[in-house]
Amino acid sequence: MHTQHRRRVWLFGIALLGLGGALAVFGLGIGSTGFQSLLAARHDAVALQIVWDIRLPRTLGAWLAGALLGLAGSVAQGLFRNPLADPYLLGSASGASLGVAVALMLFGGSVASMQWAMRLGLTGAAFVGAVCAVMLTLMLARGVQQTLRLLLAGVIVGVVLGAVKDLITIASADILQALQGFILGSTGLVGWSACAVMAAVGAACLLLAWALAPVLDGLALGEATARSLGLPLGAMRAALVVVLALATGAAVAQTGLIAFVGLAAPHLVRSVVKTTHAGLIVLSAAMGGLLLMAADLLARWLIAPQELPVGVLTAVLGGSYLLWLMHRRGARGGVA
Amino acid sequence: MSGHIPALEARSVSATLGTTEVLHGIDLKLGAARWTSVVGPNGAGKSTLLKALAGLLSHRGEVFLFGEAAAKVPGRVRAQRLSWLGQSGAAGEGSADDLMVYDIAMLGRLPHQRWLAAPSKADREAVERALRSTQAWEWRDRPLGQLSGGERQRVLLARALAVEAELLLMDEPLANLDPPHQADWMQTTRALVAEGRTVVSVLHELPMALAADELVVMNRGRVVHHGGSSDPATHAALEQVFDHRIRVHRVADQWIALPN
Amino acid sequence: MKMSRFPSLLAAIGLSLCALAAHAFDVVDERGITVSLPQPPQRIVTLLPSLTEGVCALGACSRLVGVDNYSNSPNAVLALPRLGGGLDPNVEAIVALRPDAVLLAKSSRVTQRLEALGLKVLVLEPKSHADVRRVLDKLDQVLGTHEAANIWRAIDASVSAAAQALPAGAKGQRVYFEVNSAPYAAGESSFIGETLTRLGMKNIVPASLGPFPKLNPEYVVRANPDLIMVSVRSAAGMEQRPGWSGIRAVREGRICRFDAAQSDVLVRPGPRMDEAARLMARCIAEKAG
Repeated sequence: MHTQHRRRVWLFGIALLGLGGALAVFGLGIGSTGFQSLLAARHDAVALQIVWDIRLPRTLGAWLAGALLGLAGSVAQGLFRNPLADPYLLGSASGASLGVAVALMLFGGSVASMQWAMRLGLTGAAFVGAVCAVMLTLMLARGVQQTLRLLLAGVIVGVVLGAVKDLITIASADILQALQGFILGSTGLVGWSACAVMAAVGAACLLLAWALAPVLDGLALGEATARSLGLPLGAMRAALVVVLALATGAAVAQTGLIAFVGLAAPHLVRSVVKTTHAGLIVLSAAMGGLLLMAADLLARWLIAPQELPVGVLTAVLGGSYLLWLMHRRGARGGVA
Repeated sequence: MSGHIPALEARSVSATLGTTEVLHGIDLKLGAARWTSVVGPNGAGKSTLLKALAGLLSHRGEVFLFGEAAAKVPGRVRAQRLSWLGQSGAAGEGSADDLMVYDIAMLGRLPHQRWLAAPSKADREAVERALRSTQAWEWRDRPLGQLSGGERQRVLLARALAVEAELLLMDEPLANLDPPHQADWMQTTRALVAEGRTVVSVLHELPMALAADELVVMNRGRVVHHGGSSDPATHAALEQVFDHRIRVHRVADQWIALPN
Repeated sequence: MKMSRFPSLLAAIGLSLCALAAHAFDVVDERGITVSLPQPPQRIVTLLPSLTEGVCALGACSRLVGVDNYSNSPNAVLALPRLGGGLDPNVEAIVALRPDAVLLAKSSRVTQRLEALGLKVLVLEPKSHADVRRVLDKLDQVLGTHEAANIWRAIDASVSAAAQALPAGAKGQRVYFEVNSAPYAAGESSFIGETLTRLGMKNIVPASLGPFPKLNPEYVVRANPDLIMVSVRSAAGMEQRPGWSGIRAVREGRICRFDAAQSDVLVRPGPRMDEAARLMARCIAEKAG
């Protein structure tokens, strides 16, 4: 019977990837010029460029960013033993916004500062901001030993960095609109190089998280039990926090702040199969990729040729899902 | 196997929780291949002592594992030789609800598994033995969240048994267990001791505690008495720490404690 | 005989090469980056309203193939495809229009993406009077027109004329120009402030506070301006702001409220600055008494 369960887990994973592939192909036909570009691609260089250089990397990029967020979400929920944890818990969202705000401010400044900002780019600034914020949280919490302190430090860092960002937007009011665009989230700027970066970071983080998954399983039984099993908790937790920071930073840098994908992906996986964290992490990545790609396609299709910000769509869809989950729990009288 | 080297030895072990001293200079020698029960009123420091012996709590003084200083034993080796079962209802309980019973029991094999290695045949056999001994084998594919309190406890017990360690330290292992399963647990413990393993259990159920080979009686962070469970001195110490509100009686070949 | 034809053939080839080379030219944009254009662009996308107006003012309106959502002047551009907000436009739509030049502002995020896709991108963003002149010159260079100097002269002359047409008693008034209700004001060093200065007005926000500072409303109350200029959208509830009823401009009803179209003219540093000056002058003359 155990092998049957494992087969079910594998099948679910393959189904997620297959669905993702199908949607990706479908996504080639969605955009400001619709399916026309796809059909004309063979003899029209610009149409080919649209399909190959714009739509394909966007669609793939959406999947990769969603996978990174799903991975980060499952790690966060395991680390903090809290089903409501999301990748932005340790201040990475505020850090990324601050990074972008600083870069935008430098863009409008002297030529020298602009050179710096341009070399790093908005993507680099967001990534550095996210990772630095998590490191700041770690420093404030003095290590990863105490979960509660880590959470508290994350909240503090988030609020303080958010305030600094607000100060910057007041000083340079013209960056507000650009910043808003980043915060709402979009895959519009994702090209092949962005996909390559996300794929590299994603593969590394996935491997590391999968190798460290036993720690999360052990922690589910309680910290003392995990320690009694001989797990070097401190080092492994620190490594998982690093995975969290890198994965979230990479996703946020390319696509902005996209809500709910990291939170909902592990939940959706758990509602279909119950598995150890090793399987949960991998499946959450696949589920997250599917979710964000679907949301991105909807965002590009609903009011074509215009686009909705994908962050708004994920918030609406994710929020509705959580509402439904709450309703279902309530109807059953609180028994999951 | 059971020589003159005590399985566990504590020398001047003191511990502080927050700002309160909960253990005051405990000296204790627990023999190998014995079942020792730690008893005492609430707040006596029983769980704290167990945690300190298991190396899960920072403490002053030294603990020795089969003669070796526990601090010098590498974490993995210690995990292979010492299995610890904590009190259920401790922090982080609910998050294991999604794990399968089988996978939870398999976690007990972590100290024996190499990094990134798949479970070996020996691991699978150990898990099956452990689950069968607590009558949890039939639900090995059910998630923990679907089980009742007593059933969950049996799964957690199986996890501790799967380690197949020489030393088992169990804190309130009978929580939520009904009498038949409490009896099963006692049988399993006696079998483990017969194999040469050492069991130390903190127990609230005094009749069960009195069935052990030895009793450690604690009160207010100190060991008041350590002796055989049939020893009248032990019974006297037991009655004394509970303010003489219990009496130890012999009923049907067993020692039991009844309210006075 | 054949030998003497050779040098003239060479000369012909040389001349046509020069002619070709004359069309290819380099432009340095506001980032300091040199963009080389093979010839003056014929399919232009602009993503900033003031740049749209600049291109049209220089007579190249017909070369525009796409604009951002906020470009609405002159009327001819209303028929063009709208490509999204200036800072976050639709990359695919831009590429689909096959432009040979894209003009946009400094803070736009798509610059790198468009360049990676092989498009020619020029960053131009006017902020002050001097900027407007420079941008117009640059556009001149890019478009291959020669109108910039004339246009600037005309703007200059219009602003001076508007200033001269003002009654003497209206000069020297202290003005507060509100950009939005945060409140953000247009200070002396902004292009709006420069126009006001040329019209002989005094700005309650000195240059030391920067071009568009966010003020403490208390500051405006203390400064007690004689005249307030504001757009209708932010004007709502101005009289109800705490302490504002005591301001001279509020008490005497000397508030210029500009509607959406007029606000557009006023807040864009572009070729319509002369119209902006006229709007402000008319309001000053009306409210002078």
